[in-house]
Amino acid sequence: MIEAEGLTRSYRKGAVVVEALKGVTFGIRQGEFVAIMGRSGSGKSTLLNILGLLDRPDRGRYRLQGVDLSCAGDDEASAARNRTIGFVFQQFHLLERVSALRNVMLPLLYSEEDADDGAARAERALQTVELSHRAQHVPSELSGGEQQRVAIARALINEPALILADEPTGNLDAQSSAGILDILRRLAEAGRTIVLVTHDREVAARADRLLVLEDGRITADDTLPSNPPRPAGVA
Amino acid sequence: MTRSHRITADVLASLLANTQRSILMMLGVAVGVAVLSAVIVISQGTEERIMGLVARHGLDMLMVRAGGEVQVFAPTADRGLTVLLEGDARAIEAEIPNVTMVSVVQNQRDINVVYEDRSVTTRAFGVEPDWMEIRRRDMAEGEFVSETDMAAMSRVVTLGHKVAQALFPEGGAVGRTVRVANDPYVVKGVFTEMGVNAGGDDWDDRIVVPFTTSSRRLFNRPYLEQLVIRTADARQMANTAARVRELLRVRHSIAAGEEDDFFVREPEDVENAALDTSSTLSLLSLAIATVALVAGGLVIMNVMLSAVAQRRHEIGLRRAMGARASDIQRQFLLESLLVALAGGLVGVVAGISVASGLAAAQMVDGRVTWVPFVGALAACTVIGLVFGVYPARRAAAVEPATSLRQQAV
Repeated sequence: MIEAEGLTRSYRKGAVVVEALKGVTFGIRQGEFVAIMGRSGSGKSTLLNILGLLDRPDRGRYRLQGVDLSCAGDDEASAARNRTIGFVFQQFHLLERVSALRNVMLPLLYSEEDADDGAARAERALQTVELSHRAQHVPSELSGGEQQRVAIARALINEPALILADEPTGNLDAQSSAGILDILRRLAEAGRTIVLVTHDREVAARADRLLVLEDGRITADDTLPSNPPRPAGVA
Repeated sequence: MTRSHRITADVLASLLANTQRSILMMLGVAVGVAVLSAVIVISQGTEERIMGLVARHGLDMLMVRAGGEVQVFAPTADRGLTVLLEGDARAIEAEIPNVTMVSVVQNQRDINVVYEDRSVTTRAFGVEPDWMEIRRRDMAEGEFVSETDMAAMSRVVTLGHKVAQALFPEGGAVGRTVRVANDPYVVKGVFTEMGVNAGGDDWDDRIVVPFTTSSRRLFNRPYLEQLVIRTADARQMANTAARVRELLRVRHSIAAGEEDDFFVREPEDVENAALDTSSTLSLLSLAIATVALVAGGLVIMNVMLSAVAQRRHEIGLRRAMGARASDIQRQFLLESLLVALAGGLVGVVAGISVASGLAAAQMVDGRVTWVPFVGALAACTVIGLVFGVYPARRAAAVEPATSLRQQAV
């Protein structure tokens, strides 16, 4: 599913050049639920951006579903983001003044195929995150946990193979966090590949596998004991 | 819906959802377009009034009389001048730009017109059918001289208002036969009452016959008293008059230093000055409107630029969801274009209303045509695109990775 080989990426921050990634190599199989952990500045966000095709490595190779996208142009990368990747952000990033349903439909806007059943698909996606009853509400009328569930539904609408979650519980209370992690867990069980970036050990513990990034390098790659989702509805 | 249809629809929805921002952007263009349309309405109104003035006072006409300038106060016909010929008219028509029509005129005083026991002595004119159009005379009844009359050298006559009154006090002149210089002529029509013009000519004390009839029968001579020249652009009158003078000097073989044997009369300078003023004025207002439009465009650009900064998250999000950089650029360009067009619509209605209001209050001239609408549409399209491009490029250049991580502004 994902093959990363010797990824490096450095930034210029004023006069200083920061090496965010210093040669990162790993693979992720279809259906894996992987947590990437690291302190702030460890390079985990940079790595996630590269995996999400929002940034490109200076060197190294990145293959997604067997396609080398290390040097993909904007159009190719954009199409791949739309088709193959679902994003979940710490800050939710929902459009204000737009209903939950229409927020969920946003990726369809940039899809190459002409979907006539967009609304129906969005409703199904909202069903997956158990939020059908809030479809017509705007973000400001939703709780943080609900907003993040809308964002997950949005990430799901194009049925992407890969879901990238960047600190998805970072802005949520414990209860909402647990609900979000359960949803991700269930998606993983259903066969989706999930990459979750966090600095929280407890959150990382919900994944099948843990990659630890330190100072731009992977320093640990552990398989975690299985942890099934808690029964739905507890959240 | 195709991808670009969906993106367009989304832009519309986003503009409608963010009314405050959209209205702010619209306002700048609306003011500019309002000024522009008001200027157009007023200047078209002014032009219409001027054109009316031109028509009423014959400001677009040049007159050429036989005889030099010093002799103009003596009636040319009575002096038997033999310098101006029909060939001169056709040459002017053919060779001088800005001339739309040349009509030849013969006239003679003291022509006796008799009907039964009534008679008048008046001035007879021999003219071509287009004279009617050049001099803008109207018929009260009957018809004017036609091409058929010309070809046939018909003995037909049209009567001035006073002549008709004198010969036919009961009316019913058309169709009757009168005697003109002892020959029978059928009355073809009667002119409307014109009154005495500024030069003291009483236009109601006239009869008019076809030019061929006057040159072959009534006066029996080829020489003309007058050429009447109608120009396309009254503002170039002086230049056209100079060229007519040049051409006639050549045709009449007048050597350098010799006096003209003709006199070219231009319309009054005072009224020409009014034409010049009106064109200067409309140029000035157009400049003001342009400044207002550019200011409106700058408002759009400013609001767009700050919107790009405020909407970095949204841009990053859209990019993450699969929007290409070009989609983002198109989105912002479309936003500025739509806002500019909406602003233009508001502006055109406001501008026309204000101008029409002022016109109704007799403060300015006003004339509403399609021109301001087309002008506004064109101006808005240009403004929306020109001032939208830079912000749209900035939006497209937003780095999705960094914009998504920044804290909300």
